[in-house]
Order: sequence, then C-alpha cells, then structure tokens
Amino acid sequence: MAKLLDKQRYKCALGAMQTVQAIDRAIPVLHSGPGCAQKLSDSNGSSGYFSPNIFPCTSINEKDVVFGGVKKLHSTIDNALKVIDADLYVVLTGCIPEIVGDDTGEVVSEFADAEKPVIYAPTAGFKGNNYKGHEQVIDAIIDQYLKKSDEKEEGLVNVWADVPYQDLYWNGNFNEIEKLLKEIGLKPNIIFGYKKGIENINKIPKAQFNLLISPWVSVKNVKKMEKKLGIPYLHYKNLPVGAFETSKFLREVGEFAGLDKEKVESVITEHENYYYYLIERFADLFLENRVINKQFTVVGDAQYTLAITKFLTNDLGLIPAKQFITDDTPKEFRDDIAAEFKKLNYGIEAEAVFETDGYKIHEQIREHDYHGYPLILGGYYERELTEELKGNFLNVTWPVRDKIVLDDFIAGYTGGIRLIEDIYTVASQRFN
Amino acid sequence: MSYLIAVASSDGSNVDLTFGEAEFFRIYEVEGTEYHEKEVRQVPAAEESDAAADQSSGEGKGCDSAGAGGCGNGSGSGCGNGNGGGCGGPRGHSVKVELIADCRSIVCKKIGFQATKQLEKKAIAGFDVNCGVDEALTKISAYYNKIDNHQSLRRE
Repeated sequence: MAKLLDKQRYKCALGAMQTVQAIDRAIPVLHSGPGCAQKLSDSNGSSGYFSPNIFPCTSINEKDVVFGGVKKLHSTIDNALKVIDADLYVVLTGCIPEIVGDDTGEVVSEFADAEKPVIYAPTAGFKGNNYKGHEQVIDAIIDQYLKKSDEKEEGLVNVWADVPYQDLYWNGNFNEIEKLLKEIGLKPNIIFGYKKGIENINKIPKAQFNLLISPWVSVKNVKKMEKKLGIPYLHYKNLPVGAFETSKFLREVGEFAGLDKEKVESVITEHENYYYYLIERFADLFLENRVINKQFTVVGDAQYTLAITKFLTNDLGLIPAKQFITDDTPKEFRDDIAAEFKKLNYGIEAEAVFETDGYKIHEQIREHDYHGYPLILGGYYERELTEELKGNFLNVTWPVRDKIVLDDFIAGYTGGIRLIEDIYTVASQRFN
Repeated sequence: MSYLIAVASSDGSNVDLTFGEAEFFRIYEVEGTEYHEKEVRQVPAAEESDAAADQSSGEGKGCDSAGAGGCGNGSGSGCGNGNGGGCGGPRGHSVKVELIADCRSIVCKKIGFQATKQLEKKAIAGFDVNCGVDEALTKISAYYNKIDNHQSLRRE
C-alpha cells in the first residue's frame, strides 16, 4: 500500500544535478518536466556561474509523453552546446522520460563527436534517492568518459567522500581531507569543488588507488573503477572527525599507500599536540557541561551518523543513545554499518536504527530515557522536538536551516574542533 | 466511453493548419483505440463570431459591448479576463474553443500561448505536432486508452 513518508531527508535521484553542479564548469542538462530543478535546488550555495535556474531543461509535457521527447532532447542538448560554455554536459533524465521509455542513451550518443563531452545518467526518481543519483553520475563518468590508462602517477589518489550539497560541509570536508593527505605525502585528486573540475576528472585513470571515505555511497563506483580502469581501492568506512579517528585514518591510508611510517607519525603527532592543547585549555568547560548532556543521538545519513557517533564517543567521551540513519541505506550494507557502531572505544556500543520516517524517529527519541537533557545532532526537523525535550540541538544534517556554511567542515582534526565549538556554543548559550 | 478529438487539417491526411488559421475542425470520434471522422465543424464567420462570443459570455458582455473600444481599452473587460467571452487574444480564439468545447483534445500544427491557456481552462489537451492525422490519432488514442485503463504509459 502506498504510504506517506514523514519528514523525508533526501530527494529523488534527479537531485544528482547538484553532484554535477559541484564539478566546476560541468552543467546538467535535464530531460524532465518543468520545475524539477527549481524544486530540487537548495539555496545553500547553489548560485554562481551555473545555477538550477538556468540549467537547460527539455520541460517535457503531455505532448512529449504521447509523441516522444527525443526530438526536444536532441535540440536542447544541441543548443546547450551552442550557448553554454561548459566543460562537461551531463544529461539527467527525470521520471517522465524514463516511464515512457525515451531512449536518452541513443540521443546522447549522437553527440559523441561534439567538441565537449556529453554523457548521460538515468536518474528517475523511482530508481532511488539522490545518494543513488550521485552514484549514477559518477558511474556515467566512468562508463562514458574515462578510459583506462597504462601510465600511473605515483602517489596520486582519487578521493571520494561526501555527496555535495546533500552534505552541508562537503566543500570544506574535501579541502580538509585533501590538506591532510598532502601532508602525509600523497597527491589527492578530487573532482568536486573549487578549481577541480574536468582536469581532475581526466587524472582519475592515472591514480595509484581510489580512497573512498563513506559507509556505502560510491562503493559501487570504486568497484566499477577497479574493474574497468584497474584502479584498486581502499574503502574507509567512516569520515574521520576528531583526533582519534583522524589519526587512525591517516595510519591506515599511509599503510595502504606504502608511505613512510615515520613521516605519517610525525604529521599525526604535530596535529594531535595542537588538538589536545586546545582540548586541555577547555577541559573545565567540558567537565562542567558534561552534567547537562549524558547521552546523545545523531539523526542523519550513514556518513554523518557514524562519523559523529564515533567522534562524540571516542573523543568527547559522551554516551551514545540510539543513532538514526535516514538515507535509506541499501539492505546489503546495513549489517556492516550497524557493526561499525559496535566498534567504539572503552567497550561502548551504540544501536543504529535504519529509519526514513521522521515520525517514527521522533517517537523513539521521546521514548528513550536520556538520563537528563538529550544532545541531538540532526536535521532541522529535530529542532522543535529537542526544544520540547529541553535538550541541546545542533543542525548538521540535511535539511539545514539553522546554519550557513561556506567552507566550514567537520572532517579531520580541525573539523573536530569546529564541531566541539558548535556543540558547546549551543550548550553555553543555555546559561547566558 | 467514446470521446471526441478535434483536428486542424485541410485535407484530412496531414495536420497542416495552425489553431489560428483553421477555418474548420475535423471532429473524430474515438472508442478505445478505434477512431472515425464524425463531422466537420465550421468556424463561424467574423460577424457571427461576435454574436457567439456575446452569447457565450458568462456576464453577458463581450468586449465589443463593454464600451467604446473593445480590446485593450482598459475597461477591465479586455483580454483574458476569464469571463468566457471577450476578445481572448486574437479575435476568434474563444469562439474556436467554444466550438470544440466537447472535445477531449485538439491537434494542430501549432497552438499559440493565448489559445493554449484558453484550452487549458476548458481542460482540452492541445497537441501541436507535425505529422499525419492517422499517426497523431493513433498515438493519442493509445495514450488515452492506457490512461483510462490505468495501464503503464511505456511506449512499445
């Protein structure tokens, strides 16, 4: 039976237009109804050279359902190539053309000789959410654009992590991970963000390996690259936040890449020293505030829920209550991800609940005994609930209304410090 | 249940007329995916169309009777005021829409913006296509047949 999804935390697969937008000078060409781009765009840093309001779109209607929309698609791509100066054109199909069966692949193949690359990704809403859409776009790049390279560049590593725009901190997180990897002696190659774009896409096949930092998103992509481009991959399941996890992360990456251990350790030591210097100075604040939040809950996608749970437990010594994963994680990854929540320091285990329905999440939060006021990190939907429970709330996952993020981040050592600042700012505001 | 489709075609084999230039519409009756030409409806000539517009007007007032100037005189009864009559863009659109008000859709070579809006108000689907009458009717009837029987719209 059809059911209503309360407070959903993701969009349809066509939301992958934001993945395309995150690639510098790449433009999505939408084969969809009018209004899709408008509805799917967040006003969170999505304006600029290309913005959802100017994405070329076939704006298909009833006539195209009856008579087929391929002619319109052809002319839309053709004209987009003429009037829009971009490096990569990614045709994304919405629900309607996929339902009626327009052969988008064939239309796109007619542009094989175009001066600029044109590829397409099937991103109909009924095929999955925007996490899946994100994978589809990367798959399209691998399948239709990249070619195997015999030449490998020592130390070059492709980094895949957050889903742009869906994750508020994507830009900053990528930058921070890039910075850390450079410090230990690697050459990170990221395709999303400032000055990355097509040049970095072209470098993908030359990489020594793929580094995937995500519980499940893009696992499919790195496997495909291993098969097609012969690039091995390291699947690191959680985004490192804070000293403990980041040091562990750098050691594991260093070992996989065969880097000099001493160098990696010296980078780690330097960062940790500064990190703990900061923590020490504020230890009294943390201890005093401990009494207000004995337990915490994170509501977000697998990436953030896992990352923040590990950070708050391992680095701040808080106790996890139930943790909610809202990204409709594919069933085959669930056991594996749930097991990660059992691997916390001090023998602490957390229960991960895979739930997309906001109502059910809120019911479970209400029922749980937090032994005091809860600390809740989640989407904007949790704000009201937390107020009701007199807890402390921080908006870190989609949808975000409480915070404007330009290039802030939570990844790495500094990211951990930023998150502590945010959490304790909320906590201290209570007393003022 | 059968329904009607209006087609703007001079010869009955090609959809070769725009909505604006059509002086008559061929009305086809469709049952399932079977269709046949039922009648030809002549668009009334100019004088008659004024009278028709007056008659069809919900407020009993067409543009011409609303004051001295008719269209664009700023009297509030000008274009697109939704009173069912009036000028409705180029003169005659509303008359034509009235003429085919009992049809489910209209097939023309081209349909302008104003006419499309007026057709939408009457829930008549406008298809502007460049093909043969048979092709258009086959596709449209197949489409409606699927919708009416709650079948998938996937084209074979």
